[in-house]
Amino acid sequence: MAGVDLIEAAQAPLLARRYYAHGDPGPIVAALAHVPEVLEVALPFIGTVLGPSAIGARAKELVILRTSALLECRYCVQAHTVVARDAGLSRAEVRALRGAGAGWVAVFPDPSERALLAWVDAVALGPGPVPAAARAALRAEYADPEVVELTLLVGATVMLNRFCTTLELPTSPQVLARLAEEDLL
Amino acid sequence: MTAVADAVGRGVLPGRVWFYANYHCNLTCTYCLTESGPRAARRELGAERMLGLAAEARALGFTALGVTGGEPFLLPYLPELLGELAAVLPVVCLSNATMFTPARLDRLGRLAGLPVQVQISLDRPEPDANDAMRGPENFRKVVEAVPRLVERGIGVRIATTVGSIDDSERERLCALHRRLGVPDDDHVVRPIVRRGRAVDHDLGVEVGPADLPAELTITTDGAFWSPFGPTVHGGRLDTDLLLTRTTSPLNIPARVLLRLVEGRPQGADTQLNIR
Repeated sequence: MAGVDLIEAAQAPLLARRYYAHGDPGPIVAALAHVPEVLEVALPFIGTVLGPSAIGARAKELVILRTSALLECRYCVQAHTVVARDAGLSRAEVRALRGAGAGWVAVFPDPSERALLAWVDAVALGPGPVPAAARAALRAEYADPEVVELTLLVGATVMLNRFCTTLELPTSPQVLARLAEEDLL
Repeated sequence: MTAVADAVGRGVLPGRVWFYANYHCNLTCTYCLTESGPRAARRELGAERMLGLAAEARALGFTALGVTGGEPFLLPYLPELLGELAAVLPVVCLSNATMFTPARLDRLGRLAGLPVQVQISLDRPEPDANDAMRGPENFRKVVEAVPRLVERGIGVRIATTVGSIDDSERERLCALHRRLGVPDDDHVVRPIVRRGRAVDHDLGVEVGPADLPAELTITTDGAFWSPFGPTVHGGRLDTDLLLTRTTSPLNIPARVLLRLVEGRPQGADTQLNIR
């Protein structure tokens, strides 16, 4: 049971209908559909920032899953565990990203991924400026357009984490089944 | 010329903007779209807000206003508000005509000569059949009220909402409204729409946006495709015809409505004569 009523297909507002055209659009859409004018700009934004782009899927899922774990968003962690596995992350990597502290250091030897995860920890946990060392490490590995996109990705994920957690959005049975199957619940 | 004015001029967009003034009512009609009744939450839009929206509507290029509910005349400020709205754009106000006490009729008399019409529900030519759907004494009150409005110079329209009506009954009804002083041009017959309480009574026709005039409709809950949109069933607002939650600036829902109606064939909404 979510913290708000989730709009079903029969009640989908006119601007939201296309998101229901292929079945259950998921609880984020079903919640945002309460405010259609927000839905129609939020969804393309979320899709652009979190979806396929110049940054590879693996790097993006590192950011999303780690941010969601830091923000303790049950819905996002569960949903993006599945996405991360599909993007090629191992179960050990997923567990490390979902763990507290900097346990991930031992699991991610690649310098660019280490710089990225340190950046995520600094940005997501805020507040205030991020340490200069984290910035320098990231810029040593990524070009400015990538820094911008990855930073926005952390911010958008934090927004979604708080949205999904506060509204208690339910994880789909399909995701829960997959997590159980992979011993990642 | 604004985009709205252009679309209204081309006949793509209806010129009227509707306000749901309130949701409460002194009647509990069996086919009520909004489950209105004495115990319904009022959800008043408020006079100040309606006047502000009316000014926005005119600036955008809309050409007329409508006020509906609930029973709008339960709002004590309504007669004066209609006069103020009419100074902005021509206005039609829907009513069950059961609230027209001599004092209220006197206040309404000041609207004579202004572009204000009161649209009154009258469904059947005989009291029993009419009151079965609308409540006791409704027929008598309507038949008494209409001539009093007409003689005061208030424009009156009669709206007949029925599942079906045969020729004989329709002719008796038309004879009645003519006797009351309402010409044929100001009488509309439309089907019951299967939304709101009509669903519980197994009444009416199913409709979607294609069947309904795209008349921008403002409520406390947001902006809707049509005055047949912001219906209530089981105490819950229907959102399938919701445009936006934002109602002011009015340009926001108006722009969405324009996007949705562009390309719609003219006359596509007229098959069921839902007006």
